[in-house]
Amino acid sequence: MEKIRKKHSFLNVKEKSFLIVAGTILLGMALVITGFPGITIAAGPKVIKIGSIQPATGMIAEIGQACRRGNLLAVEDINARGGIKSMGGAKLELLLGDSEGKPPIGRSEAERLIKNGSVCLVGAFMSSVTMAIATLAEQRGVPFVIDIAAADPITQQGYKHVFRNFTKSSVFGRCYADYIKDIIAHSKVPIKRAVLMNIDDLFGTVTAKFTLKALKDKNVPIDIVAHITFPHAAKDISTEVAKAKAAKPDILIPIVRIASSRVLLKELYKQKVKLLGIVAPGCPGFYEPEFFKDMRKLANFIMDSPPWINPKSSMFKEVNARYQKKFNKGPMDTNSAYAYEGVMIIADALERAKSTEPDKIVAALRKTNIKEHITLGGPIVFDKNGDNPNAITGMLQNLNGRTRLVLPREFAEVDYVFPTPNLWER
Amino acid sequence: MNLTLLIQALIGGFLVGGVYSLIAIGLSLIFGVMKIINFAHGEIMMIAMYITYWLFVLLKIDPIISIIIVAPLIFLLGYCMQRFLVNRIIDAPELIQILLMLGVAIVLTNLALFIWGPDHRMAATRFSLSAIMLGGITIDVSRLIAFGIAIIVSIGVFLFLAKTETGKMIRAAADNRLGAQIVGIKVNRVYAISFGVGSACVGIAGALILPLIPLDPYLGPSYTLTSFIIVILGGMGSLLGAFIGGIIIGVAESLGAVLLVSSLKELVSFSILIVILLFRPQGLFGTRNE
Amino acid sequence: MNRNSIIFLAAVLLFLLLLPLFSSSALIGIFILIFFYAYLGQCWNILSGYVGAVSVGHALFVGIGAYISTKLALVWGLSPWIGMFLGGFCASIIALFIGYLGFRFRVKGVYFFLLTIAFAEVGRLIFLHLDVFGGPVGIFIPFKPSFINFQFKGNNPYYYIAMGMMIFSIIVVRIIEKSNIGLLSVAIREDEDAAQSLGVNSFKCKMILFFISGFMTALGGTFYANYFYYIQPDIVFGLGLSVDIILRPIVGGMGTVFGPVIGSFLMTPLAEFTRNYFAKGGYEGLHMIIYGIILIIVVLFFPRGLAPSFQRMYRSFKKNISKS
Repeated sequence: MEKIRKKHSFLNVKEKSFLIVAGTILLGMALVITGFPGITIAAGPKVIKIGSIQPATGMIAEIGQACRRGNLLAVEDINARGGIKSMGGAKLELLLGDSEGKPPIGRSEAERLIKNGSVCLVGAFMSSVTMAIATLAEQRGVPFVIDIAAADPITQQGYKHVFRNFTKSSVFGRCYADYIKDIIAHSKVPIKRAVLMNIDDLFGTVTAKFTLKALKDKNVPIDIVAHITFPHAAKDISTEVAKAKAAKPDILIPIVRIASSRVLLKELYKQKVKLLGIVAPGCPGFYEPEFFKDMRKLANFIMDSPPWINPKSSMFKEVNARYQKKFNKGPMDTNSAYAYEGVMIIADALERAKSTEPDKIVAALRKTNIKEHITLGGPIVFDKNGDNPNAITGMLQNLNGRTRLVLPREFAEVDYVFPTPNLWER
Repeated sequence: MNLTLLIQALIGGFLVGGVYSLIAIGLSLIFGVMKIINFAHGEIMMIAMYITYWLFVLLKIDPIISIIIVAPLIFLLGYCMQRFLVNRIIDAPELIQILLMLGVAIVLTNLALFIWGPDHRMAATRFSLSAIMLGGITIDVSRLIAFGIAIIVSIGVFLFLAKTETGKMIRAAADNRLGAQIVGIKVNRVYAISFGVGSACVGIAGALILPLIPLDPYLGPSYTLTSFIIVILGGMGSLLGAFIGGIIIGVAESLGAVLLVSSLKELVSFSILIVILLFRPQGLFGTRNE
Repeated sequence: MNRNSIIFLAAVLLFLLLLPLFSSSALIGIFILIFFYAYLGQCWNILSGYVGAVSVGHALFVGIGAYISTKLALVWGLSPWIGMFLGGFCASIIALFIGYLGFRFRVKGVYFFLLTIAFAEVGRLIFLHLDVFGGPVGIFIPFKPSFINFQFKGNNPYYYIAMGMMIFSIIVVRIIEKSNIGLLSVAIREDEDAAQSLGVNSFKCKMILFFISGFMTALGGTFYANYFYYIQPDIVFGLGLSVDIILRPIVGGMGTVFGPVIGSFLMTPLAEFTRNYFAKGGYEGLHMIIYGIILIIVVLFFPRGLAPSFQRMYRSFKKNISKS
C-alpha cells in the first residue's frame, strides 16, 4: 500500500528532500537580498528623494552616463542654492537607477526607487524603457519627468503623471525641413539631390519617416534619390556608401548613432564621395567632444540638428563651467543639458507645490513656466499631453574643431558655411 | 544596376570577408579541438582592441606592429582561461560550458566598461583613412592589410598544427582525447595551448580592425555570432574552411546590401547558416564524424 | 514522508499567496520576474532539459506570442486572454516547422543550438521589416486597466497570474515526466540511437515536446507585452532574451522538475541584489562584474546544476542522521 501511494504521490523522496533544503534557503535568500519587507522610509521634510533611471551600462552607456551627470549636477546646484525653500530648505537626494537599456530592468529599477522613497522620477533616454517606466508611473501614481526620449507615442497614452521636456520626433522633422529650406535659399550652388541613410532601429526609422514627411509637407524642393537603411549593428557599411555614391547626391542626410557616425564618415572619405554638405536631422554622433578627438579635421563642416543647448543663455554658461570642472568632461551637450533641466523642472514644481504629495506635484508640474533655462526654445511649459510645445531643435555646424549653433538665427553663434569643402580637402 | 557599384560591392565584400576570416580562424581552432562554444570570443577580441588602442595612444605603436605585443598577451589570457576555468568543467554538458563562457563574457565586457568607460574610441592610425582608387573602385588599405595578414596567420597556424610537436599533440587530442591521454599527452595542457593560440588569432584580428571600427565594450556579441556562422559554413576545425567561409559571408552580405534592402543583409547570412546546418552540417571543408 | 512534503509545499504556497499582503510593490515586482523567468525556463526545460535538443532561440516564441495577442487586441479588441492561445497556437506551428526540419535532418547538439538561434534571428529580422507590426518602432500598448484587457493598476494581479503560470508549468512538467513520453524522452536524451533501436519513435516524441514548449512559451510573451506595455523585435526576439531564458534552468539544473524554479529564485534576485548594492555612480559596470563572477563560481562548483547537487547533499546529510 505504501509503495503504491509513493508511486502516485506528487513528489518522490528525492525531490521532497532537496525541496526542503533548497526551497527554504532560496526563498529566505531572495527575501533578505531584496530587502524584506520593503520598509518605506517616509520622506521627511529634510530630504526629498528623486529617482533617476538612465542607461548607465549597456549598449548606450556613453550617453546614459552623460545623462546621469546632468541629473547629478542639477541636484548639487539646487542644494547649493539652499534646497527647496518653500519646504524649509529641504535638500534633494538623487537615487540612481540603471536600466542597462532594457525595459524590464528599467521598470524594476523604477519600482525599487519608488520603494526607496522617490517622490518623482526622471529619465530614461531610450523610448522603450521610458514607455515601460511611464506606464509604471501612471500605475503607481508617481510623477515622471522625461528628460530625454523622443518617440511621439509616449505622451499620447493619456497619462496624467507623465511630462516630457524633450523635443518629439515629429518636431525634429519639422524643424529640419525649415532649416534645409534656409540653407537652400542661401546657397550659391543649387541643391537638388539628397540621399537619406538611416540605421534600422526605432530611433533611425522614426526620424527618417518624420524627416521625409516634413520635407514633403513643407514643399522643400529637394529630391530624395536614394533611401538606404542599414542595420544598427552593421560591422561594415562600405557597400551602403558605394550605393549612396552611385546615386550622385548633392547632400547626404545621415541618421546614425555614435559608432556608425565614425564608420560612415571614414567610408565617405575613403570612397571620395563628392558632397556639398552632410546635413543630419538631429542624430547623436556628430557633436560629442570625442567625435572631434577621433575624426580631427573630418569632423569640420558637418551639420546636425538635434535639440541643443542655448549658447546665449547666461545660465548655461555658468552651469557648463561647473559641469566641466566637476566631471572633467567636454562642454555640455544635448544629453547632459536636458538631463539637468529634468531635475530643474522637478525642483521648480516642488518649490511651488510645497509638498511631496504626488497630486500636488502633478498640479504644480502642469503649471510649469520656466523662462530662464539652458536649452533652445521658449519657456518650458507643458500642454495637456504633458509635452513641452516650445521644445525645438537647432542646426549645428562643426567649425574649427567646435560645435556652433547656426540656426535659428535668434540663438545662432555664427553663420553657417555652405557648400562645404570635400572631406579629403579639409 | 550599376556595374561599378556591383564590382565595388564584390571587392568590398571580399575584403570585409578577409577580416571576418581572421576573426573566425581562432574560433574554428577552439571549436574544433575542444568542442567548446566560446561565447566570449568577441569579448576577447574587444580586450585585444583595447590593448592595441592604448599601445597606440600612449606609446604611439602602430596597430600592425603592436601585433607582436598583443598576440602573446592574449595568448596568455586564453591559456589562463582554459587552464583555470574551462578545464575544470571539460566533461560537463556543453550547455554548462556555454554558461561559463557567458559569465566570462559578462565579466570581460563590464571590466572594460569599468576601467575604460563607455566612450567609443577610434584610433586615427596611419592607414585608417587610406584607400587606393582604381578607376571608380575604392580599395581600403586597412582591410587589404588585414586580408594579407589573415592569409599569413592561416598559413602560420596550419604549419604550427602540421609541423610542430605541440601542433601534432593538439591534432591528436582533437581527434581522440582518450587515445591522446593513453599515449601520454597532457591533454589539459594541450587544450590550454590551443585555447591560447585561438585567442591569439582573434587578438591579432582585433589589432588589425581597430582602425576600421569604433571600439566600445559592447561590440563582442555580434562578432561572436558571425564567427559561428563562418565556422559552421567552413566546417568545424577547418582553417581553410574558416578562411573561405569568411569570404563567402562577406561577399554574400555585401551583395545582399546591394540587391536587397540593406537592413536585410544579416538575413542572408542566417539563411546560409540554416541551409548549411540542414544539408551539410559538416560544413564545406569539414569531414563528417558522428 | 508524503504528508510532510505536501505540508511543506502547501506552506510555501500559502506563504507566496499571502506575500502581497505585507510587502512592498517593488518586492512583488521582483517576485513577478522570478515567476516569469521560472515559467519561461520551465517551458524551455520541457524541450531542452528532457529530450536534450537544446534551443537557444526560445525568444522567437515569446516574440510571436507577444505580437499576435497584442495585435489582435489592438485591431479587433480581442481580449489577450483569448489572443494568448491563438499566439500560442501560431508559435507551436512554427515550433513544429523548426522541429520538423531540425529533427528530420538529424541536426543535433551544437548544430541544433545554432539552428534555433538562426531561426530566432530570422524571425527578428522579418518582424523588423513588417510594417503591419510596427517594424522597428514596435508597438506601444495603451494602458487601459481591466481584467479583460490583461492590464492592471497594481502589481498584485500580475503577481498571481505569474505565480499561476509558474505552478501550471511545474504541473505540466511533472505530468510529462511521469508519463510515457517523459520516460521515452529521457531515454532519447541519454542515447538516441539505442532508444531508437528499441523501437522508440524519437521524432514523434521530440515533436510533441517542441509543440508543448513552443505553445507555452508564447503564453509568456502575452504576459510580457501586458506587463511592460512595449514590444519591439530586438527586445522580444533578441538573443539577449533567449539567453535570459536558458540561464536560470541551466543554473538550477535542467531536466529536473524544480531546476528552473530554483535557478530563477537564485539568479533573478541576484541580478537585483548586485545592481542594488554595487550600481553606484562612478562605478558603472561593477555590479555586472560581480554578477558575472558569481555566475562563473556557481557554474564551476555546480556543473550539473543546483538541483541535483542539493539532492545529493540532502541525501548524505540524511544518511548521517539515520546512522547516529
